[in-house]
Amino acid sequence: MQNRPAIVAVGRTKFGEHYGKEPEKLIEEAWLAASQECDIERRDLEACYLSDCFLPITNKLGLEEGFLSELTELHVPMEVTRSVSAALLAACHAIQAGAYSTVLVGGIEKMTDRWDKIRDDLMLLDDPWSYYAGGTPETNHELMLRAYVKKYGITGENLDKLNVALAQVSVKNHANATKNEYAQFQRKITVEQVLSARKAAQKPLGLYDFAPISDGASALILTSEALAKKMTAQPVYVLGYSSATDYLNFPTRDDLTHFTATKIAMKNALKMAGITTWDIPVVEVYDQSTVMEIVSLEDLGFCEPGTAWKNIRGNCQDYSGYYEINGKKLFVNMNGGLKADGNPLGATGGAQIFEIFRQLRGEAGERQVKSGQAAPQFGCALEFEGFGTKAYVSILGREQNE
Amino acid sequence: MSSEPIERRVSYLGDRLKASRCKICGKEYFEVRDYCGNCGRKSFGKMTSIDLFYDKGKLELCTLVKEPTNKFMKLGSYVYGIVSFHNGKIRVPGRLTDQIVNDGEAIDFSSLEGREVIPRFRRRYSVGKSEVVPTISLAFTLADEYYPHQEYTVVQPSKEYDVPGIVGYSVYASRFRIKEDNIERSVPFVDEDAVTAAVEAGKLALIHSGVDSSLVGKVYVGSESNPYAVKPIASKVAQVLKLGEEDEDVQGVDAVDTEFACKAASSMFKDAASLVNYPKSGVKYAMVIGTDNSQAAPRGCPGGELDLFVGYGGSAFIFGKYDVIAEIEGWYSCTSDTPDFWRRDGEPFPMHGGRFTGEPAYFKHVRKATTKLMERLNLQASDVDYFITHQPNPQFPVRIAKELGFKDEQYAVSLQVNKFGNTYSGCSPVGLAAVLDVAKPEERILITSYGSGAGSDAYLFRTTSQLVDKRQRQKINVQFQAENPFVKYVDYNTYRRLKLGM
Repeated sequence: MQNRPAIVAVGRTKFGEHYGKEPEKLIEEAWLAASQECDIERRDLEACYLSDCFLPITNKLGLEEGFLSELTELHVPMEVTRSVSAALLAACHAIQAGAYSTVLVGGIEKMTDRWDKIRDDLMLLDDPWSYYAGGTPETNHELMLRAYVKKYGITGENLDKLNVALAQVSVKNHANATKNEYAQFQRKITVEQVLSARKAAQKPLGLYDFAPISDGASALILTSEALAKKMTAQPVYVLGYSSATDYLNFPTRDDLTHFTATKIAMKNALKMAGITTWDIPVVEVYDQSTVMEIVSLEDLGFCEPGTAWKNIRGNCQDYSGYYEINGKKLFVNMNGGLKADGNPLGATGGAQIFEIFRQLRGEAGERQVKSGQAAPQFGCALEFEGFGTKAYVSILGREQNE
Repeated sequence: MSSEPIERRVSYLGDRLKASRCKICGKEYFEVRDYCGNCGRKSFGKMTSIDLFYDKGKLELCTLVKEPTNKFMKLGSYVYGIVSFHNGKIRVPGRLTDQIVNDGEAIDFSSLEGREVIPRFRRRYSVGKSEVVPTISLAFTLADEYYPHQEYTVVQPSKEYDVPGIVGYSVYASRFRIKEDNIERSVPFVDEDAVTAAVEAGKLALIHSGVDSSLVGKVYVGSESNPYAVKPIASKVAQVLKLGEEDEDVQGVDAVDTEFACKAASSMFKDAASLVNYPKSGVKYAMVIGTDNSQAAPRGCPGGELDLFVGYGGSAFIFGKYDVIAEIEGWYSCTSDTPDFWRRDGEPFPMHGGRFTGEPAYFKHVRKATTKLMERLNLQASDVDYFITHQPNPQFPVRIAKELGFKDEQYAVSLQVNKFGNTYSGCSPVGLAAVLDVAKPEERILITSYGSGAGSDAYLFRTTSQLVDKRQRQKINVQFQAENPFVKYVDYNTYRRLKLGM
């Protein structure tokens, strides 16, 4: 690839409830962390790509670019997207085209500012008919699980195992989050807790199967390859990036058990990066629910369709932290995932990239995973907008150590 | 939703579940499409519009919603899922309605998945009191429960009569009942109201009559519980049932609401009959609907005595001169300004004249209209096979029937207040429907309605042989709904909550 876009620094806030902070305080915090890491000034920025999903609704901010301009006292081009992955994709295009050499990619969300109405707001990411028919932000996840169980004929003992496997996903993510200082939930949970929450809800999925409502911000500094080498010893390159789209109306999709958009985006991103699925040992998936994590592992090509749930291994109280698929280790959602790290929609993707960046540079502390003796060389982040309506795959990689 | 244009578009598509089919490849789409994704540009202009209003679907997948979004809170917990039509060619989101899911009650989703469901026209969700009431048919009931699926088949008429009369009719009562002291009364589900009952009754009457809905040139809807002070129920009925010839999105029908307490509908029988009989009217069929979510203040409050007898439901009658099942032989109406029952604008519940609602109001007008009509037609009580009158409580109709010389076997069939309660505008029409359900050809039926305020309309009908021929088309008749094993009984507090609606 010519002129690979490179991430030279990342920053983020803690995810969770930031009752006392305005949205600008959060993005400021994330930006400061990233800029200090690579020692740049805001005047070095040639453009900004900012993402948020609901600021116009939650904070009555309709022209976020102006708000960022005022904050930074910059008059450079700025664009707003709905997710950090979308912002990153646009920024990568611009860098590769040679339009800019240093840009800020950021994300921000302040969902708890509309606590009592946010679940209705979230239905904006679904098709209106589902809302009119009484759907909630959780229903599609549960219907997909029902469809999955039926399609793969999972019954009896196997159904119990699937349900426990889904619970283990949540337990694993919570355990991972205890090692992540930025995570919203830094406490372990048990399989029993997950199962009893489902029982209380009388539904296929319960409280511990779903990602929370969060506030937070994240920021990345993206530069051209040439500049990156001057700014840091360890640039992380965006080797492959791709997106795909699916019907807004979930019931009308051809396949109710998988996310077609993920499959397409992953295929294209791998092709662009010139690597194969199993070159990637560390992945951040968009686990708005435990079902999404399981299904995404299949859609990304790590597991055969209908089998991902069989690959959860280990004791939940003492989870070893990886999926074992055909004897190979796959580390998924080491930051705790959306479930435990938090899910401030417009900033979530930034936390995913943040995690892969840290893992590839060997900077993930207690969460650090190893590929042999070294930090992994490749990592991948899958981010959604809506219920798989848009899927973004970003494949990151670093130079092989000499 | 506070946007009128969006509300218009959503209800236009969603009330009828409008869809389209590609004439080239047969692919179907929920919502109206101008072109087919498979066939691309060549399919422009080649899409047929279809709708799913009379169809049955299959519940493919479902889950429980226990914490709905804000506008659905009043539904409590409900089953939500994906419904397919036409062997999976169309899939839509939908919720099951007419189900009360109690806290802690386990739902076996796999026992629901795969079952046939019927789209039902209901309120969509709660809105502010000043907003347009949103409706939708993405609410479904199980076809093997209270409300079975019925085809709507247009039947070409075989005979023109000299005299106009009833060509089809229906009664709609909801699944829920409250039972107190051997009186059962129908209770709306929380997403039902006078409008949804009117549409439901009209739909069932079209199915029974086999009349082509585009030939219905006029619809009258009588009600005293319209959710709007200004905006007709009849326009909703006309649009959803596609009455009159459709041109673009406008129906070629005259639709109007009427109000005269409990005789708002029965009063229009003669107007409907006269209209179809006038050679230059161009109206082949006219529909009269009586519908009410009968209002009553809570017990112990002024007007609360009504709370013992109010019901919920609708009844529809289609008048015409073709394939008549009961000819109209005559009528007599009377009116006086008697304030025995009233509701001021903006007040939620009507007031009641206590003991003055009997002799100077109900009895006086029913007696007057009935005796005048019998005099005019030179009839004795014994010349009539069935007598029906308004049923505000179980005692009044029996007392007046006896006084007028009718015997138990002449009026007992019509007494439905013990089964459905007083359905106000739908009340005496429900009695008429119960009689038509069992009458034989060439029988005489005398019905006298009563509306507070006050007045009565007496009609004499004579049944024809086609009454029996058409009977098999209507599974959901009065007895079916009264004795349905899937009826759910609710307690007083639930009844008040459901009646209050979304």
